[in-house]
Amino acid sequence: MICCKECIDLLYDYIEGSLDQNTSKSLEEHFEECPPCIAFLNTYKSTTTLCRDTLNQIEIPDEIRRTLQSFLQENRDQQEKK
Amino acid sequence: MSFTQPKEEKEIEEALVKDFQAGNPDAYDKIAELYQKKIYALSFNLVRNQMDAQDVTQEVLLTLFKKIHTFQGKSAFSSWVYRITLNASYMKLRSKKKEPNISIDELLPSFNSAGYQQEKIQDWSENSESLLFTNETREVINKAVGLLPEKEKVVFLLRDVEGLSTEKVSEVLDLTIPAVKSRLHRARLFLRKKLSGYFEEYSSQKGEA
Ligand SMILES: [Zn+2]
Repeated sequence: MICCKECIDLLYDYIEGSLDQNTSKSLEEHFEECPPCIAFLNTYKSTTTLCRDTLNQIEIPDEIRRTLQSFLQENRDQQEKK
Repeated sequence: MSFTQPKEEKEIEEALVKDFQAGNPDAYDKIAELYQKKIYALSFNLVRNQMDAQDVTQEVLLTLFKKIHTFQGKSAFSSWVYRITLNASYMKLRSKKKEPNISIDELLPSFNSAGYQQEKIQDWSENSESLLFTNETREVINKAVGLLPEKEKVVFLLRDVEGLSTEKVSEVLDLTIPAVKSRLHRARLFLRKKLSGYFEEYSSQKGEA
Protein backbone atom coordinates (compact mmCIF):
# COMPACT_ATOMS: atom_id res chain seq x y z
CA MET A 1 0.00 0.00 0.00
CA ILE A 2 1.21 3.51 -0.72
CA CYS A 3 1.79 5.97 2.10
CA CYS A 4 0.35 9.48 2.56
CA LYS A 5 3.43 11.14 1.15
CA GLU A 6 3.20 9.21 -2.10
CA CYS A 7 -0.52 9.85 -2.15
CA ILE A 8 -0.04 13.61 -1.98
CA ASP A 9 2.73 13.54 -4.57
CA LEU A 10 0.27 11.87 -6.93
CA LEU A 11 -2.67 14.21 -6.30
CA TYR A 12 -1.92 16.53 -9.18
CA ASP A 13 -1.87 13.80 -11.80
CA TYR A 14 -4.81 12.06 -10.15
CA ILE A 15 -6.99 15.15 -10.55
CA GLU A 16 -5.80 15.62 -14.12
CA GLY A 17 -6.75 12.01 -14.77
CA SER A 18 -3.29 11.25 -16.09
CA LEU A 19 -2.36 8.36 -13.79
CA ASP A 20 -2.18 4.85 -15.17
CA GLN A 21 -4.87 2.46 -14.00
CA ASN A 22 -2.75 0.60 -11.44
CA THR A 23 -1.44 3.72 -9.75
CA SER A 24 -4.90 5.21 -9.73
CA LYS A 25 -6.24 2.08 -8.11
CA SER A 26 -3.66 1.97 -5.35
CA LEU A 27 -4.33 5.63 -4.68
CA GLU A 28 -8.03 4.96 -4.30
CA GLU A 29 -7.26 2.07 -1.97
CA HIS A 30 -5.26 4.46 0.14
CA PHE A 31 -8.17 6.90 0.24
CA GLU A 32 -10.48 4.19 1.48
CA GLU A 33 -8.32 3.63 4.49
CA CYS A 34 -7.13 7.14 5.14
CA PRO A 35 -9.72 9.84 5.92
CA PRO A 36 -7.02 12.53 6.37
CA CYS A 37 -5.96 12.06 2.75
CA ILE A 38 -9.55 12.34 1.56
CA ALA A 39 -9.84 15.57 3.52
CA PHE A 40 -6.59 16.65 1.92
CA LEU A 41 -7.84 15.81 -1.57
CA ASN A 42 -11.11 17.69 -1.04
CA THR A 43 -9.45 20.78 0.34
CA TYR A 44 -6.74 20.68 -2.35
CA LYS A 45 -9.47 20.77 -4.99
CA SER A 46 -11.45 23.46 -3.16
CA THR A 47 -8.36 25.61 -2.88
CA THR A 48 -8.00 25.73 -6.66
CA THR A 49 -11.67 26.52 -7.18
CA LEU A 50 -11.81 29.18 -4.47
CA CYS A 51 -8.70 30.96 -5.65
CA ARG A 52 -9.76 30.83 -9.27
CA ASP A 53 -13.25 32.15 -8.57
CA THR A 54 -11.86 34.95 -6.46
CA LEU A 55 -9.06 36.11 -8.74
CA ASN A 56 -11.09 35.62 -11.89
CA GLN A 57 -13.51 38.36 -11.04
CA ILE A 58 -11.19 41.12 -12.13
CA GLU A 59 -12.79 43.50 -14.58
CA ILE A 60 -11.25 46.66 -15.93
CA PRO A 61 -12.81 49.55 -13.97
CA ASP A 62 -14.79 51.91 -16.25
CA GLU A 63 -12.50 54.80 -15.61
CA ILE A 64 -9.44 52.80 -16.58
CA ARG A 65 -11.24 51.46 -19.63
CA ARG A 66 -11.86 55.03 -20.75
CA THR A 67 -8.23 55.98 -20.12
CA LEU A 68 -7.09 53.01 -22.20
CA GLN A 69 -9.50 53.95 -24.95
CA SER A 70 -8.19 57.49 -25.26
CA PHE A 71 -4.64 56.19 -24.98
CA LEU A 72 -5.26 53.97 -27.99
CA GLN A 73 -6.94 56.81 -29.88
CA GLU A 74 -4.03 59.15 -29.22
CA ASN A 75 -1.60 56.55 -30.35
CA ARG A 76 -3.57 56.10 -33.53
CA ASP A 77 -3.80 59.84 -34.20
CA GLN A 78 -0.05 60.13 -33.83
CA GLN A 79 0.50 57.35 -36.30
CA GLU A 80 -1.83 58.89 -38.82
CA LYS A 81 -0.03 62.23 -38.66
CA LYS A 82 3.20 60.57 -39.66
CA MET B 1 -12.67 25.03 -17.29
CA SER B 2 -9.46 24.81 -19.19
CA PHE B 3 -8.80 27.51 -21.75
CA THR B 4 -8.24 25.86 -25.05
CA GLN B 5 -8.58 28.21 -27.93
CA PRO B 6 -11.16 27.02 -30.45
CA LYS B 7 -9.66 26.55 -33.88
CA GLU B 8 -11.86 29.16 -35.46
CA GLU B 9 -10.92 31.79 -32.91
CA LYS B 10 -7.27 31.03 -33.49
CA GLU B 11 -7.66 31.55 -37.22
CA ILE B 12 -9.43 34.88 -36.73
CA GLU B 13 -6.65 35.95 -34.45
CA GLU B 14 -3.95 34.93 -36.89
CA ALA B 15 -5.70 36.84 -39.65
CA LEU B 16 -5.91 39.94 -37.42
CA VAL B 17 -2.21 39.72 -36.63
CA LYS B 18 -1.36 39.42 -40.34
CA ASP B 19 -3.60 42.40 -41.17
CA PHE B 20 -2.02 44.46 -38.49
CA GLN B 21 1.47 43.52 -39.60
CA ALA B 22 0.45 44.68 -43.06
CA GLY B 23 -0.39 48.08 -41.60
CA ASN B 24 -4.14 47.97 -41.04
CA PRO B 25 -4.90 50.08 -37.91
CA ASP B 26 -8.38 48.61 -37.43
CA ALA B 27 -6.81 45.21 -36.90
CA TYR B 28 -4.77 46.65 -34.07
CA ASP B 29 -7.87 48.10 -32.40
CA LYS B 30 -9.49 44.71 -32.52
CA ILE B 31 -6.43 43.02 -31.08
CA ALA B 32 -6.31 45.61 -28.29
CA GLU B 33 -9.99 45.06 -27.57
CA LEU B 34 -9.54 41.29 -27.51
CA TYR B 35 -6.58 41.31 -25.18
CA GLN B 36 -6.88 44.27 -22.88
CA LYS B 37 -8.95 42.47 -20.26
CA LYS B 38 -6.55 39.54 -20.14
CA ILE B 39 -3.57 41.86 -19.92
CA TYR B 40 -5.18 43.93 -17.20
CA ALA B 41 -6.32 40.93 -15.13
CA LEU B 42 -2.96 39.16 -15.20
CA SER B 43 -1.02 42.31 -14.41
CA PHE B 44 -3.46 43.23 -11.65
CA ASN B 45 -2.97 39.84 -10.01
CA LEU B 46 0.77 40.43 -10.06
CA VAL B 47 1.10 44.10 -9.15
CA ARG B 48 -2.00 44.23 -6.91
CA ASN B 49 -3.15 47.75 -7.58
CA GLN B 50 -5.27 49.45 -10.22
CA MET B 51 -2.98 52.30 -11.17
CA ASP B 52 0.00 50.03 -11.70
CA ALA B 53 -2.11 47.54 -13.63
CA GLN B 54 -3.30 50.40 -15.84
CA ASP B 55 0.29 51.51 -16.47
CA VAL B 56 1.30 47.98 -17.33
CA THR B 57 -1.68 47.51 -19.66
CA GLN B 58 -0.88 50.72 -21.54
CA GLU B 59 2.72 49.75 -21.83
CA VAL B 60 1.86 46.30 -23.15
CA LEU B 61 -0.61 47.70 -25.69
CA LEU B 62 2.06 50.13 -26.87
CA THR B 63 4.67 47.38 -27.06
CA LEU B 64 2.31 45.24 -29.14
CA PHE B 65 1.88 48.17 -31.47
CA LYS B 66 5.56 48.94 -31.80
CA LYS B 67 6.92 45.42 -31.84
CA ILE B 68 4.33 43.62 -33.92
CA HIS B 69 6.79 43.41 -36.82
CA THR B 70 9.14 41.37 -34.60
CA PHE B 71 6.46 38.74 -33.94
CA GLN B 72 7.29 35.80 -36.17
CA GLY B 73 4.60 33.34 -35.24
CA LYS B 74 6.97 30.74 -33.80
CA SER B 75 4.76 30.54 -30.73
CA ALA B 76 1.10 31.46 -30.45
CA PHE B 77 0.36 35.19 -30.54
CA SER B 78 -1.32 34.94 -27.13
CA SER B 79 1.83 33.40 -25.63
CA TRP B 80 3.76 36.38 -26.93
CA VAL B 81 1.23 38.77 -25.36
CA TYR B 82 1.41 36.95 -22.01
CA ARG B 83 5.20 37.09 -22.04
CA ILE B 84 5.21 40.84 -22.70
CA THR B 85 2.64 41.30 -19.92
CA LEU B 86 4.73 39.32 -17.44
CA ASN B 87 7.88 41.26 -18.29
CA ALA B 88 6.13 44.61 -17.94
CA SER B 89 4.57 43.53 -14.61
CA TYR B 90 7.93 42.40 -13.24
CA MET B 91 9.54 45.68 -14.29
CA LYS B 92 6.80 47.48 -12.39
CA LEU B 93 7.29 45.33 -9.30
CA ARG B 94 11.03 45.77 -9.39
CA SER B 95 10.62 49.53 -9.17
CA LYS B 96 8.73 49.09 -5.89
CA LYS B 97 9.83 47.92 -2.51
CA LYS B 98 9.57 44.19 -2.26
CA GLU B 99 8.07 42.29 0.62
CA PRO B 100 10.30 39.46 1.73
CA ASN B 101 9.22 36.14 0.33
CA ILE B 102 8.46 33.40 2.80
CA SER B 103 9.81 29.97 2.18
CA ILE B 104 7.34 27.67 0.50
CA ASP B 105 8.93 24.58 2.04
CA GLU B 106 7.76 25.41 5.53
CA LEU B 107 4.19 25.19 4.35
CA LEU B 108 4.42 21.92 2.47
CA PRO B 109 2.79 18.91 4.14
CA SER B 110 4.83 17.05 6.71
CA PHE B 111 5.04 13.30 7.17
CA ASN B 112 6.40 10.93 9.78
CA SER B 113 9.22 8.54 8.99
CA ALA B 114 6.76 5.96 7.64
CA GLY B 115 5.38 8.53 5.22
CA TYR B 116 2.08 9.16 6.96
CA GLN B 117 0.48 12.54 7.55
CA GLN B 118 1.59 14.17 10.73
CA GLU B 119 -0.92 16.94 11.17
CA LYS B 120 -4.60 16.72 11.70
CA ILE B 121 -6.33 17.38 8.41
CA GLN B 122 -9.75 18.97 8.60
CA ASP B 123 -12.08 18.84 5.65
CA TRP B 124 -13.40 22.36 5.29
CA SER B 125 -14.28 21.95 1.62
CA GLU B 126 -17.98 21.53 2.39
CA ASN B 127 -18.44 24.91 4.08
CA SER B 128 -16.09 26.87 1.87
CA GLU B 129 -18.78 27.53 -0.76
CA SER B 130 -20.84 29.64 1.60
CA LEU B 131 -17.78 31.62 2.63
CA LEU B 132 -16.64 32.37 -0.87
CA PHE B 133 -18.35 35.66 -1.33
CA THR B 134 -17.52 37.32 1.94
CA ASN B 135 -15.01 40.13 1.74
CA GLU B 136 -12.96 38.53 4.45
CA THR B 137 -12.50 35.33 2.49
CA ARG B 138 -11.57 37.26 -0.59
CA GLU B 139 -9.03 39.18 1.42
CA VAL B 140 -7.54 35.98 2.84
CA ILE B 141 -7.25 34.45 -0.63
CA ASN B 142 -5.68 37.54 -2.14
CA LYS B 143 -3.19 37.71 0.69
CA ALA B 144 -2.30 34.04 0.39
CA VAL B 145 -1.70 34.34 -3.35
CA GLY B 146 0.32 37.49 -2.70
CA LEU B 147 2.61 35.49 -0.44
CA LEU B 148 3.43 32.88 -3.07
CA PRO B 149 7.01 33.08 -4.34
CA GLU B 150 7.14 34.55 -7.87
CA LYS B 151 8.10 31.32 -9.62
CA GLU B 152 5.11 29.46 -8.27
CA LYS B 153 2.77 32.44 -8.43
CA VAL B 154 3.12 33.02 -12.15
CA VAL B 155 2.46 29.37 -12.97
CA PHE B 156 -0.56 29.39 -10.69
CA LEU B 157 -1.99 32.57 -12.24
CA LEU B 158 -1.58 31.38 -15.81
CA ARG B 159 -2.74 27.81 -15.30
CA ASP B 160 -5.35 27.90 -12.54
CA VAL B 161 -6.64 31.47 -12.81
CA GLU B 162 -6.33 32.28 -16.51
CA GLY B 163 -7.06 28.67 -17.39
CA LEU B 164 -4.23 28.15 -19.87
CA SER B 165 -3.27 24.56 -20.64
CA THR B 166 -0.11 23.11 -19.12
CA GLU B 167 1.48 23.07 -22.59
CA LYS B 168 0.69 26.71 -23.15
CA VAL B 169 2.12 27.72 -19.77
CA SER B 170 5.29 25.86 -20.59
CA GLU B 171 5.50 27.78 -23.88
CA VAL B 172 4.88 31.18 -22.28
CA LEU B 173 7.40 30.64 -19.49
CA ASP B 174 9.84 28.51 -21.46
CA LEU B 175 9.67 25.76 -18.84
CA THR B 176 9.43 22.00 -19.24
CA ILE B 177 6.03 20.41 -18.62
CA PRO B 178 7.24 18.59 -15.45
CA ALA B 179 8.55 21.92 -14.13
CA VAL B 180 5.16 23.56 -14.73
CA LYS B 181 3.39 20.70 -12.97
CA SER B 182 5.68 20.66 -9.98
CA ARG B 183 5.48 24.44 -9.49
CA LEU B 184 1.72 24.36 -9.76
CA HIS B 185 1.46 21.51 -7.28
CA ARG B 186 3.67 23.37 -4.81
CA ALA B 187 1.60 26.51 -5.26
CA ARG B 188 -1.62 24.62 -4.56
CA LEU B 189 -0.14 22.94 -1.49
CA PHE B 190 1.02 26.29 -0.19
CA LEU B 191 -2.37 27.92 -0.77
CA ARG B 192 -4.22 24.95 0.70
CA LYS B 193 -2.21 25.27 3.86
CA LYS B 194 -2.82 29.01 4.07
CA LEU B 195 -6.55 28.68 3.49
CA SER B 196 -6.78 25.77 5.92
CA GLY B 197 -5.60 28.00 8.74
CA TYR B 198 -8.39 30.42 7.99
CA PHE B 199 -11.22 27.95 7.39
CA GLU B 200 -10.36 25.75 10.35
CA GLU B 201 -10.40 28.72 12.65
CA TYR B 202 -13.70 29.79 11.17
CA SER B 203 -15.38 26.43 11.64
CA SER B 204 -14.11 26.05 15.19
CA GLN B 205 -15.60 29.46 16.01
CA LYS B 206 -18.84 28.44 14.45
CA GLY B 207 -18.79 25.22 16.48
CA GLU B 208 -18.38 27.09 19.72
CA ALA B 209 -21.10 29.60 19.04
ZN1 LIG C 1 -3.05 9.07 3.78
